[in-house]
Amino acid sequence: MSANDVLDVLNISREEVSKQPQKKRVKTSNDASKQTGMARELYSLLGPNTPPVNLNQNTKNMFSKDKLKMKVSPWTRMPFEVNGKTFHHWVKGSRELLDQEQGTKPYFFDKFNIKLETPALCDKETYEKIVEDINKELQAAKTKKDEVKQEAEDTSNSKKSVAPGNTKDDSSTTVSKAKEDTKSTDDTESKDDKNSTDGDKPKEGDEERSKKTDAEKETDEKTRKDSDATDSKSQDSKSRKRKANEMEDADDEPVAKVDFSYEETEYLWDLCQVFELKWPIVYDRYNYMDTNRSLEELKEHFYRVCIKLLEGTGASSTNDDFISPAPNSALVDSLKAFSRKRETDRKVYLENLLKRTPAEIAEEESLVIEARRFEMAAKKMLMERSNLLALLDSPSTTQSVQSYQSSQGLSTLYNNLMIYDKNQKRKSSSVSASTTKSSQNPVPPAIPPVASSSIRRDRAFQTHLQQYLATFLKQGSAPVPTAQGNAIKQLLQKRLTQKEEDAYGLHYHSTEKMVQGVTLRSAQRLPALQQKQSTLKSVQMLLQELDIPTGGGTTWRPLMPTRKTMAKYDEVIRAAVTLIDVKKARDKLEAEIRLVKSQRGNHLQ
Amino acid sequence: MTVYGGDEINALVLDPGSWYTRFGYAGDDFPKVITPSYYAEKEDGTRLFGDEQLNVPRENCEIKSIITDSIVTDWDAAFAQFSHYFDTTLQIEQPDQPILITEPVWASTEYRQKMIEQFYEQYNFPGLYLAKTPTCVSFQQGRPNCLVVDIGHDSVSVTPVVDGISLLKHSVRTHYAGQFLNDEIADYMAAKPVDAVPSFEVASKEVTKWPEGPTFTKRKVPKFSASFEAYHRAKIWHEFKETALEVPDKSLAQDKDDEEYTGEAAERLFEMPTGQQVPVGYERFQIAESVFDPHIYKFQDTEKYNYPDENGDLNIKGVYDDHRATKRQRTAEKLSDAAAESDGNTTRGLAKLISHTLNSVDIDLRASAAHNIIVTGGTSLVPHLTERLYKELSTANPGLKMRLHAVGNSSERVNQAWIGGSVLASLGTFHQLWVSKQEYEEVGADRILTQRFR
Repeated sequence: MSANDVLDVLNISREEVSKQPQKKRVKTSNDASKQTGMARELYSLLGPNTPPVNLNQNTKNMFSKDKLKMKVSPWTRMPFEVNGKTFHHWVKGSRELLDQEQGTKPYFFDKFNIKLETPALCDKETYEKIVEDINKELQAAKTKKDEVKQEAEDTSNSKKSVAPGNTKDDSSTTVSKAKEDTKSTDDTESKDDKNSTDGDKPKEGDEERSKKTDAEKETDEKTRKDSDATDSKSQDSKSRKRKANEMEDADDEPVAKVDFSYEETEYLWDLCQVFELKWPIVYDRYNYMDTNRSLEELKEHFYRVCIKLLEGTGASSTNDDFISPAPNSALVDSLKAFSRKRETDRKVYLENLLKRTPAEIAEEESLVIEARRFEMAAKKMLMERSNLLALLDSPSTTQSVQSYQSSQGLSTLYNNLMIYDKNQKRKSSSVSASTTKSSQNPVPPAIPPVASSSIRRDRAFQTHLQQYLATFLKQGSAPVPTAQGNAIKQLLQKRLTQKEEDAYGLHYHSTEKMVQGVTLRSAQRLPALQQKQSTLKSVQMLLQELDIPTGGGTTWRPLMPTRKTMAKYDEVIRAAVTLIDVKKARDKLEAEIRLVKSQRGNHLQ
Repeated sequence: MTVYGGDEINALVLDPGSWYTRFGYAGDDFPKVITPSYYAEKEDGTRLFGDEQLNVPRENCEIKSIITDSIVTDWDAAFAQFSHYFDTTLQIEQPDQPILITEPVWASTEYRQKMIEQFYEQYNFPGLYLAKTPTCVSFQQGRPNCLVVDIGHDSVSVTPVVDGISLLKHSVRTHYAGQFLNDEIADYMAAKPVDAVPSFEVASKEVTKWPEGPTFTKRKVPKFSASFEAYHRAKIWHEFKETALEVPDKSLAQDKDDEEYTGEAAERLFEMPTGQQVPVGYERFQIAESVFDPHIYKFQDTEKYNYPDENGDLNIKGVYDDHRATKRQRTAEKLSDAAAESDGNTTRGLAKLISHTLNSVDIDLRASAAHNIIVTGGTSLVPHLTERLYKELSTANPGLKMRLHAVGNSSERVNQAWIGGSVLASLGTFHQLWVSKQEYEEVGADRILTQRFR
């Protein structure tokens, strides 16, 4: 039964409702024109499943006909010029046409002939000036480094001399460590001895230091650093010293100086231009007067001079348009970032990485796996701990316990807890998934706000009675279906009065779920009947007691299941269930009170 | 063969090799002419080229080689040969077609200069280009960054290629290649002893088995020269090399008498042109192994066959090649390794040669080079060579991920450099690189050689 039928029965024309355009009926072409090009028997085998592509007649002749119509497209061997040389290739088109076009179009592949632009090298005088500049800068950097180093040395020395007096523990570790490193003759003296004699220590430390040879300087540095680590106060001097350590490594090399002649630089520039700054190739082809230069040297020199050129030092003399008046600061910065030493170090590190033996590689891999396992274990432990904490923070029992004392209450509680637990698991798993991404430092999952005041307001912890009352209230407050129904409803409400509606038995379904198809109301299952069997039995007894007739048999329904009676009946059953629950709870409470009272009585006696 | 971005201008491609020289048109997938790099010279000085001519026994006719180590040694003969094929088979049209010539990495400046000048002088090509063989191979495979391992007739070479340009400083070459194997086979056969009678002398034969002597009737042939006989004997050894040799799975030096190689199952029969069947067992593995370990086969006739120790260096030293003994090796391993090390510095077999190149090349290029090792050249067709090579390389360089690329088609692998040249010369973007005679004279030989023919 469609809405249209309903309207028809009620004699309501459907003017307002816009009419849908009638569906076009696809005409089934029935022209069974005779097919050729296919055996009749074979064609009949196709049956009704005619292929989507129309089997055209005279397919046989089609191609040959088209072929006859088509003209042979001419190809002409045309000369073309590249870089001043003339070659010949075949081009589509007639000679006349191509002759006209000749020279108008550039060679197709010319656009791929691109060159990398490198800053042009300046003349010799400016180059020498640039080299001077660079040398000066290098010297300045060197002296600066020395200064910083000296400073660092001074501070460390002064700190050292102060340190023994300053903190007892610090000095002792310094001395003992220095002792280990130097293996001096003071071996006989034990650490305890030193600790006991405070006054000796500074002297000893000085002694130790004076004994240290240059070769042991590095270990000494380390020791100093270690002693620093124990000292929390000397943060700034520590960092400075570390810097100084780095500087010292660099100082092993002699003072860097540009040793490229102008001619050699020219040669380098030429190679860079030709090989488009492909450094491995530039390095490979670099062969200037049998100088043995490393790739890094070449790069460094090129970049240094380029910086100067780009910064405009040489701009006055060069007339190249590449060098814009405002130097490309980003480019210069990136060029300045190049450090030969770092580059060589990087390569040495990589080299060492590659030179591992298979055993070493396997060992490393197993270590990595083990580390990961440890991480996982730690994470698991943290998780368990947080779960434990969550358990400790269980819901307090300020509320009535009675609601959970019935089997039904317990089961609901159990279910609630299960759902809660599941949620928590899901949450924690998602948390762990996110932490694995940042596995560097696993963060313990946040302790969930279990059983805080908010959760007590949750349905899960409401009593049965509260639930009933809440639903009852809700039913009472919003029994009228929302006004925005469908068009038919509006239409009907316009035409029919309330009385008429009642007379026709019209009802608008709004919120409740509808079962598909037609059902008898007598066979309908009431929502209130979704109870435990034992509860239902007592409800039935109660109904019998109250003389409320039921349909009998297994199905529970009023004798005359109209909509209204059904609704009322449902309400009655709910009320009965609640009543029974309340009674049970009351009984239990009374029993408990009695028990407590008797116990108290025993106590008092 | 259609090449993406291609533009055919009917360029010629010439690939002179130590054993075969190849001619053809660019854009083809196979050379038009594959001819031995030898010629027959008659008494009156006329030169004959091609397989058929070389196979005819003539009186007072010497067979001479044109190319050694991929380098033209007999210039007159070489250009006579080029002209012969340009005029007959290829029928070139001058001055329409440019020519691309392959050259080995170790070609000297003088050689290259002479080559270009001769070409400009003798022919009228509108453009010329000298392409390095590894560059061509990299183009054939479409791998701009690779390591080309060319195991040819006269020499084994390993060359890193970056962006399609061969790196000369890191290239290495030894002579433990096809000719070396030929000599070992000849030496082995002479010591056995087996008389090598070339097939042109045999009229009819009966199958016999060594040590029984051959039974055959001699054909009546004109008196031929010693060089002619040597050439045809070499062909027998060539055939032996192609049919009987097999590279063992593991180093024979470590496991001297493995049943797998000494046993009956390892034995093969090689039939000489006389019908005499020669059983070869262990030696066929031993000789093939000498590609990896040049000292495994000891020459009987040390005076005739003299191969000095070679480490492959082309007089250029790598910067980062300071191979240290790694930490965690057991002492026994260390000792053997050290021994191998010292040996490896004077004599480098194939795997050591490649490892050496990989270790000397810039660290940033190493991974891509190791991952793109192209094995090419006729001698690489010895069965199981690539498998063994992979095994050796992987154990020698555990930190690198090795990948070998070898063309499956045997005739393509032999002519890989030519095919690469054909690809190169048919590219539309390549045509700007041709160098005309005029340009050559204007710019100067030095600049053209170092910057244009890179």
